[in-house]
Amino acid sequence: MDVVVCIKRVPDTADVVEIDASGNDIETDGLAFKINDWDEYALEAAVQLTEKQGGSIIAITVGPKEWDDVLRRALAIGADRAIRIDQDMVTADCYAVAKVLEALIRNLSYDLVLFGAQSEDFGSAQLGVMVAELLGIPHASLVVSLQVDQTTARIKRELEAGTLEAYAVELPALLTIQTGINQPRYISMAGIKRAMSKELQVISLSDLDLTQETLSPTVMLEKLELPPKDKKAELISGSPEESAEQLARILQNSGIF
Amino acid sequence: MTLTSYKYADTIHRCFRCGYCKFPTNWADVNNCPAYARFRMETYSCGGRLWLIRAWLSNEIEWTDHLAKIMYTCTACKNCEEKCPLRFNVDIMNMITAVKGEMVERGLIPSQVKDFLENIQRQGNPYGKARAKRGEWTEGIEIPKYKGQDFLYYVGCVGSYDTRAQETARTLGKVLTKAGVSFGVLGGEENCDGNEVNALGEETLFEMMAEENVTQFKELGVQKIVTLSPHSYNTFKNDYPLHDGNFEVFHYTQALRDLIQGERLDVSRGLNTRVAYHDPCFLGRWNGEYDAPRMILNAIPGIELVELEKNRAGALCCGGGGGNFYTDFLGGSESSPARIRAREAYDTGANILAVACPNCMTMLEDAVKAEGLEDKIDVKDISEIVVEATGIA
Repeated sequence: MDVVVCIKRVPDTADVVEIDASGNDIETDGLAFKINDWDEYALEAAVQLTEKQGGSIIAITVGPKEWDDVLRRALAIGADRAIRIDQDMVTADCYAVAKVLEALIRNLSYDLVLFGAQSEDFGSAQLGVMVAELLGIPHASLVVSLQVDQTTARIKRELEAGTLEAYAVELPALLTIQTGINQPRYISMAGIKRAMSKELQVISLSDLDLTQETLSPTVMLEKLELPPKDKKAELISGSPEESAEQLARILQNSGIF
Repeated sequence: MTLTSYKYADTIHRCFRCGYCKFPTNWADVNNCPAYARFRMETYSCGGRLWLIRAWLSNEIEWTDHLAKIMYTCTACKNCEEKCPLRFNVDIMNMITAVKGEMVERGLIPSQVKDFLENIQRQGNPYGKARAKRGEWTEGIEIPKYKGQDFLYYVGCVGSYDTRAQETARTLGKVLTKAGVSFGVLGGEENCDGNEVNALGEETLFEMMAEENVTQFKELGVQKIVTLSPHSYNTFKNDYPLHDGNFEVFHYTQALRDLIQGERLDVSRGLNTRVAYHDPCFLGRWNGEYDAPRMILNAIPGIELVELEKNRAGALCCGGGGGNFYTDFLGGSESSPARIRAREAYDTGANILAVACPNCMTMLEDAVKAEGLEDKIDVKDISEIVVEATGIA
């Protein structure tokens, strides 16, 4: 079972998010960065599959040199090799990134391509599905359960209100992985150090026969804004009995119960 | 790792589960292992853990999340080492830390521990709060940055980020200033000391942190360190020398004792109250310092110092050690060690439960509230008691 996992590096915004002077990015000065939460679940799913069934894992990302750190983590968790396409595309539209990834993945040998269901920063949840369409392979999004045999992936995907949808998807296929499908293991610092000896290949757009022009965006990010602060907080005072009564009335009046 | 490659394979089987590890020094009950007190099952006691370690490493039992949690409920309080009558007792903590290390290595740790360690990796504190905010505890008070003064005042993660412990950190800053101590803080440039990272079994991460801190301290010309937390004190004193970090380290209670005895801090204003003192494990059992905090309290006119039933080497841990102040595996019950301790303190008739550790502060203050005792007994740090006795505003 050969698996390709696409991962992204995102800011760990903790409790600080500020918009920078350009107005279309956040202030990244002083921020720590991490592997996208959903991608950790995708990596764990890949490792669990290959631990059980054998095969290899290739981790891929598109980003500048600093993004090597998330690939090192992928190598530490169990990827056999990693490829970074050396291009800063953080604010590029998904379609442009999808074309870059497709150009690389189509030349790799794989049974499954895994993405995180969405990214923590832009959260569009489009990239995986676009790549599947460009590759011309079946796909399923928001996968919360996964069993794979030689020819088929049996998956469950999440719908609203806890409803699940079950599919058999013919391989090769692309799946976008939802959180909760597994419990991603801890990646020890010793493991990250050991993974420094694994192969991390860096390629450029020209290696993929792509030029900047072919990546011209179809969607442009114009401006970021923090949500407006609303003054709707209401403080309830009085004894616990009085407060409970007031709260019950508010909930009743707002139609919650 | 298998049992044969386990460093303590030759000794771990010698535990025959006599159960002494659960007793306090006065043999009053069997509840002095905090995890055993909370769960009342042999598996959570030190002896139970050692038998489980042996079974896991011999492939007699499989790893489960439950097994990992049992290991991580250990608060590293060292009561077991204190009470175990066998000669291998000096290695008990190491036996447990080594198996936590194996779980870290295999990635098989409870999610709360994973969060703790990943937050440290990313933001340098267990809470996952922004690294950039580490120095915010100094806002509103005059506190000098460290620039080669006599002492580096090292605050640690809890004092830097926890709202209540921040008050303590500021108060100690005021006391040191009042006494004319030449000191400075690192503020936003301070990094986690790593004591808990080590106790959680992430040895490589700890080594990196220790080396980074030693490099920073040396570059700044630090020679003497005074710490707010006994956890920082412990690792600076006992672990950092192994990483070429040889500093003169003081817990702040030792510094305040010296300042009072040297008449640089005048506590003659006094405080008329009854105080029970809770020994922090990393000051007491880990480093044998039981007297400095008591000498401070005894030096303050009007204070009647009373002892908790379990004290000094027999003190019950607050349940916050070994990362448990964050992972909270022992919380949520009347049998949570902090709540037992809060009741014990109330039973002494004390008005104040004095602590000398920011972890104990957060654990015991929450416990006093959970017990509904907040109108009856205050949890105060010794620095806060000293401030009142000196009349510093």
